[in-house]
Amino acid sequence: MLNTRMIVNILGFLLVIEGLFMFLSIPVTLIYGESDFTVFLISGGITILIGGISWFFTRDAQKNLYRREGYIIVTLGWLLFSLFGTLPFIISGSIPSFTNAFFETMSGFTTTGASILDDIESLSHGILFWRSITQWIGGMGMIVLSLAILPLLGIGGMQLFIAEVPGVTYDKLHPRIRGTAARLWLIYIIFTVSEIILLWIAGMDVFDAVCHSFTTMATGGYSTKQASIAYWDSPFIQYIIIVFMIVAGTNFTLSYFALHFRFDKVYNNEEFRYYIGFIFVFTLIIGLGLFMSLDLNPEEAFRISLFQVVSIITTTGFITSDYLSWISVLGVFIFFLMFFGGSAGSTGGGVKIMRVVLLIKNSALELKRLIHPNAVIPVRFNHQLLDSQITTNVLAFISFYLIIIVISMLGMSALGYDLDTSLGAVTTCIGNIGPGFGEVGPAFNFNHVPDIGKWFLSFLMMVGRLEIFTVLVLFSPNFWKK
Amino acid sequence: MNIIIAGAGAVGSHLAKMLSSENHDITVIENDRDRLRNVGSAFDILSLEGNASSIGILKEAKIKKADIFIAVTQSESVNVASAILAKELGAAKTIARIDNQEYLFPANREMFQKKGIDYMIYPEMIAAKEIVGLLSHAGMSDVVDFSGGRLHLYAFRLDEKAPIINKTLIEISDPDDVLEYRAVAITRKEKTIIPRGNDKFLEGDMVYVITNKGGVNNLLRYTGKENIEVRNIMVMGGSRIGVRTAQDLGDQHYVKLIEIDREKSYRISNHLDNALVINGDGTNVDLLNQEGLSKMDAFIAVTGNSETNILSCLLARKMGVKKTIAEVENMDYISLSENIGIDTIINKKLIAAGRIFRFTMSSEVAIIKCLTGTEAEVMEFVAKQDSPITKSSLRDMDFPKDAIIGGVVRGNSSFIANGDTMIKPNDRVVVFSLPGSVGSVGKFFN
Repeated sequence: MLNTRMIVNILGFLLVIEGLFMFLSIPVTLIYGESDFTVFLISGGITILIGGISWFFTRDAQKNLYRREGYIIVTLGWLLFSLFGTLPFIISGSIPSFTNAFFETMSGFTTTGASILDDIESLSHGILFWRSITQWIGGMGMIVLSLAILPLLGIGGMQLFIAEVPGVTYDKLHPRIRGTAARLWLIYIIFTVSEIILLWIAGMDVFDAVCHSFTTMATGGYSTKQASIAYWDSPFIQYIIIVFMIVAGTNFTLSYFALHFRFDKVYNNEEFRYYIGFIFVFTLIIGLGLFMSLDLNPEEAFRISLFQVVSIITTTGFITSDYLSWISVLGVFIFFLMFFGGSAGSTGGGVKIMRVVLLIKNSALELKRLIHPNAVIPVRFNHQLLDSQITTNVLAFISFYLIIIVISMLGMSALGYDLDTSLGAVTTCIGNIGPGFGEVGPAFNFNHVPDIGKWFLSFLMMVGRLEIFTVLVLFSPNFWKK
Repeated sequence: MNIIIAGAGAVGSHLAKMLSSENHDITVIENDRDRLRNVGSAFDILSLEGNASSIGILKEAKIKKADIFIAVTQSESVNVASAILAKELGAAKTIARIDNQEYLFPANREMFQKKGIDYMIYPEMIAAKEIVGLLSHAGMSDVVDFSGGRLHLYAFRLDEKAPIINKTLIEISDPDDVLEYRAVAITRKEKTIIPRGNDKFLEGDMVYVITNKGGVNNLLRYTGKENIEVRNIMVMGGSRIGVRTAQDLGDQHYVKLIEIDREKSYRISNHLDNALVINGDGTNVDLLNQEGLSKMDAFIAVTGNSETNILSCLLARKMGVKKTIAEVENMDYISLSENIGIDTIINKKLIAAGRIFRFTMSSEVAIIKCLTGTEAEVMEFVAKQDSPITKSSLRDMDFPKDAIIGGVVRGNSSFIANGDTMIKPNDRVVVFSLPGSVGSVGKFFN
């Protein structure tokens, strides 16, 4: 028996939060003297009203939640958030088509950053701000946010947390889930504010600094400019964004330890070492390739390479240089990077470094197991033996990930796209990255995709953001069996 | 409150569940990965893999900031060692579970206290004591004494003979009478409610009543139960609980103890001289009949196996034994086995948890007891000077709805509370509370 009333109750509460976030755009419209503050008043009002009513009439619901409710709440929560998040775009008329607005909002909340907009600069400040906010909320997750401010969820909160922040293992920063969620959001806010200040010092105006900090820390990639970060031809700004992208792609538990000066924990973390290692190696290869093939000085080659490697591996998707204009082998490297993703427990998407490393380790050990059939050869990670259950889970995740990509790619090519475009669009959406290949490369956008394709890609983004299992489990017959 | 629990066995995980629902910050240390995963994913706690007697692990659990350290692993020596270490490393209070009665002798207890263990708990011994106490009120399912017997909580099941069935609380109360008892809770179909004046008693209800000394006999009249004189007792299972129970009962009763293991039964008979030890399978009906099961007044099944205990109690019941007590460690079986006719369930976890729970209350609690068959708890508080509870009459107070004040002990006298009652400082107050309200009840006495 599903606890439907409690599900409605929590979803209602989530919508109220979303409505309040919409109101945040009102001061922005007022500061810039734009007339569309009523857009946000109406959108926020509708959202809060509907959420509030659902919440109010189910407030006496039984508070017990189990795993199944957790999965349903999180999946429906993300759907509803995107659904209501379209209101400002539609009411203001900046994105009149509902399909486009939904794609744009889902791409925002899932921190993908793929856009259908042809002319970003033409939008009002309020709308641009809302667009960045969707990414900022989606980065750490609205469930995590509501757990931090909602007192009622004890055990049930755990189920929600697991469904929204699936990861490979769970690290709690505090004995209570509420304490953990609050600390995560606090770190998130601290980093965001620091980045705002630094970008402002580096010469961005306050509005752009805020928007870009929101989308950097979320590893989202929405920019307020059509040319993305390339608009500011400033190495200083690029380096700041690189640093914060790396931070956002790091496990927030490690950031928590770093902020408490326990650097040994960070240094000894195996995933973090691999993460930095991958960035280093790929930057070197691509930087060298750029230096040899284009007319660049070493610093420029290094910076462009580092920026693009970090932007793709953390699944942010900011662009300083169109990687499709490089020699093609470098573009293939970028494509390869799209499968890595950030660290587990970060705001980054993709497969996640930890899974990639575990996959490689386990496969390598399999060779050893073949030679010594009776030997006990477990996988070690962070100097600890890993349960075979975790290895199986990782293998299942990666299988699903690849299967979904292949099948979706077939679907996209049925819509008339070539291999580059189909594969690029699918990989970038499920990995929550943003720019793809071919006709959806950094220089283009997703506007030309037919409606059905947009809906499907939106679905892929959600599947990717919730790390596949949370959504897919709803399609399993076992889930609905009594 | 920061609480560290070492050991996620039966007692540990029950404590983790109870305390985390009372808004405490719980860290559980356990070296068995599967157990740890079970508690970690079910309750809102921080789980830590490792050995509780390792200094590194204790430090990682932030032992310095711990208000209470509770060691309830399977191993007594780990419990003792880790509690001593915990105290040394900065835990404010330490509790260790033991299974050695020797440690509880006053002189030894003092020695352990000096070493850093504030409280030692021996669940098997407490369980045996409870069984002995229950046998003197054989009509009741559960008995808790407060303030040295000035107030009692009785739990009994209403069968079809009970005269109060289908009557409301108001109907059975006599307006001229001085109140001698008060029904504080009814458990019906696994849900516990706090009855108000218009609630009816139904057949099959488990009713919890607080009475003062004089009220017991009247209570029996209402329940339709008679007080059974218990003479012949059969104890099944030579577990620690079984042996202790037989030892305590042996002088005044005729006790037979059945133990399946031959070696063990010899060992038991060696130091159990006031009971007859029988070596045999307690589930063997022929053996039980031979030993006169049908002539027994009480049957106590305390083997380590819950299923065996339940089934053999049912068998005893069928043979006409009036009082059956089963040790049931599987929490899910408790209400089930009460519903199919076993009079009383003994559960070591709840016993231990109740004793330990007391230490997590900020107010002064003399007794706290987790009842079997309901999730509720009954507690005896001492009202402090100037505490909120002493400020107005109970009627005018914003007391939690999920809790009820049953009775009050003032000096040497005791009485049952009603709306006009004013609590005075230093009164001992018996409160019945549903889970989740225990914390807010405690605030009234602080």
